[in-house]
Amino acid sequence: MKQNKLINAVLLAAVLLFLSAPAFSQEKMGLALWKIIKPKSKIPLPLWIEEGVDWLAINFSSFFDSITYLINSINNFFFSFFSFFPVLTPNLFGVPLYIPILAFVLALIAYFVSNWKVSIFTFFSLVLIFILGLWKETIQTFSLTLTAAFIALVLAIPLGILAGKSDSVEAGLRPILDFMQTMPVFVYLIPAVMFFGIGVAPGVIATIIFALPPAVRLTALGLRELPVEIVEAGKSFGCNPFELLWKVELPMARPSIMAGVNQSIMMCLSMVVIAALIGAGGLGGEVVRGIQRMMVGRGIVAGIAVVIVAVILDRMTRYVGQVKRAS
Amino acid sequence: MIKVEHIYKIFGEKPQEAIRLVKEGKSKKEIHTETGKVVAVDNVSFEVKEGELFVVMGLSGSGKSTLLRCINRLIEPTSGKVYLKMDNKQLEITSLKKRELREVRKKMVSMVFQSFALFPHKTVLSNVTFGMEVQKKEKRYQREKAGQILNMVGLEEWANSYPSHLSGGMQQRVGLSRALATEAKVLLMDEPFSALDPLIRVRMQDEFLKLQDKLQRTIIFVTHDLDEALKLGNRIAIMENGQIVQMGTPEQIILNPKTEYVAKFVENADPSGVITAETMVRTIPECSLPLRKVCKIEGEERPFYLIDKERQIYLSADGDEEIKLKKAQIMGKDLPIRVIGEGDKIAQEGGKYLPAVKSKVVLRDIIRIMMRANLPLVLVLSNKGRLKGVITEKPLFQTILKEHPKGSEE
Repeated sequence: MKQNKLINAVLLAAVLLFLSAPAFSQEKMGLALWKIIKPKSKIPLPLWIEEGVDWLAINFSSFFDSITYLINSINNFFFSFFSFFPVLTPNLFGVPLYIPILAFVLALIAYFVSNWKVSIFTFFSLVLIFILGLWKETIQTFSLTLTAAFIALVLAIPLGILAGKSDSVEAGLRPILDFMQTMPVFVYLIPAVMFFGIGVAPGVIATIIFALPPAVRLTALGLRELPVEIVEAGKSFGCNPFELLWKVELPMARPSIMAGVNQSIMMCLSMVVIAALIGAGGLGGEVVRGIQRMMVGRGIVAGIAVVIVAVILDRMTRYVGQVKRAS
Repeated sequence: MIKVEHIYKIFGEKPQEAIRLVKEGKSKKEIHTETGKVVAVDNVSFEVKEGELFVVMGLSGSGKSTLLRCINRLIEPTSGKVYLKMDNKQLEITSLKKRELREVRKKMVSMVFQSFALFPHKTVLSNVTFGMEVQKKEKRYQREKAGQILNMVGLEEWANSYPSHLSGGMQQRVGLSRALATEAKVLLMDEPFSALDPLIRVRMQDEFLKLQDKLQRTIIFVTHDLDEALKLGNRIAIMENGQIVQMGTPEQIILNPKTEYVAKFVENADPSGVITAETMVRTIPECSLPLRKVCKIEGEERPFYLIDKERQIYLSADGDEEIKLKKAQIMGKDLPIRVIGEGDKIAQEGGKYLPAVKSKVVLRDIIRIMMRANLPLVLVLSNKGRLKGVITEKPLFQTILKEHPKGSEE
């Protein structure tokens, strides 16, 4: 066995040396292989990609349109949910009554999923955002983030479960996830615009690509790191694979999965701001306008609002995984 | 109830080659260096009767936990067969399909784990109902049954707590309750008390024995602690390097360790709770009372036994078929004979009676009885009440020092 490994290593080294030698000394060595390939100055990869993207954009336009439609409807759902209140409530002393009510409701939710500190922070920071006049933008960003996070998680958690269960799925997913995570985010924006046009949808798509990996990884990790005996306990009582997953593994992996959800939402938020470059709007739009017109104040204020939204979302989702057990 | 035949477990891919090597008689080490595979269980066979508490004892790495998991196939044995006999039906567990195997796990075999393996996100109650939930039993039945069992282990007040709020001993009681709740006749226990403090462990062992007396499950119990094995086991199998090196009752193992490995364990074991009167009893001519010339004891036809003239111990007996000992005369004093069985309370007053014990009373209790009675001897009776002989100090000391002149009588 050890001998086999040694032989393999020697063979591999020989092949690599043979292939890479020309790179070090092109003409001098004059190796046959290199002459056969005869590389030109550059491989026209950018050209190929452009052609490929064009081809996809043209031939699959209806497919992309339907996705755009889906994303827009989800986003509209969230947006109209948050802007539903103004219709119902009257103004009170010049302040629309729905602002304190909504802030209070969110603060209440924050209280139940985490603690009273977060709750108080939520209430006052939301009021602050209204006073700053960024309410509408904040709601837009909020719904964009939720839309992207929702779709990302719907995709990521099942993927993560598969990756947690099967070694081959994980091995296959890992390079793809690495690619998605390390590719500079701006790069996604260009093909996204070509496929989905300007607006919310391409922003959401780019955001999903960016925010998907941590949730997949942490879900898979959570399932893989369960104590062996607990899983055995589940099996020893005759659980079928689905029962095992549903009654034992997922609840046990919940802290890890929720950490993934939290990470994913945070990444959505940061990406949603960048997506404003292709017209996703919201607080990101404010930031972009601030940059374009050199208006320092406007940009920074919008940035602060982003931070506030981030803190609220983070604190709300961070504790969800632990609530039940700590009681 | 459970029969295990020629089980092998070899870890690593393509184990067939390793099995061949094992059968050729190569050692675990040789196989590991040659093929890189680990032989965890090596040709193990045994049978466990209904209601028996069978203990598998071995050090870590001896393959005992792997063997246990081969029985309900949490680990697939590489070869060999496991049978489960129930109500005159015989199931071959090793050839069951997945779905049938799940049925067996649901209804017939349950398991208790070393680390308790409770579900931290469920309350004590829903941990206990877990098995029944998988069985799809009625909700009300689940709650009733779980309540009963929690009551039995003394945890009814904790039903709505989470496992993390319980001490180790309590957690393992939940683990045990969860396994009992499915009404499985077979219980597999993987070092259930090893993670507990010594004091709690002993208490749990006692409680567990009481529970087993009541429930009479068939149990395979894995442990690395010989004292625990001796205390709990009806029979013990000692494992080394994946093989069973000796199998027998606790007494047999203490008295006749077959290999050096077993002997080393036994050396440090406490025999006082294991060796019974049966083993130590000497027939009256052989007994070591100081003056032995007078003993006269042929058979039960004669109603009177005269043991020792000098020290003037007389036993008088009535009846023809079954001898009923009535009284003894010791140093001129008439003493009633008091029969003390297993687990009977031992009276305090010394010098007022001559103690007689049944043959299954253990060493520790015999010493205690002698002390209380303030006499250097104890009579031993068979279960039918016949006089088997006496135990004097000498065999007691020999047993404690593990110098067995006669060895086991079985």
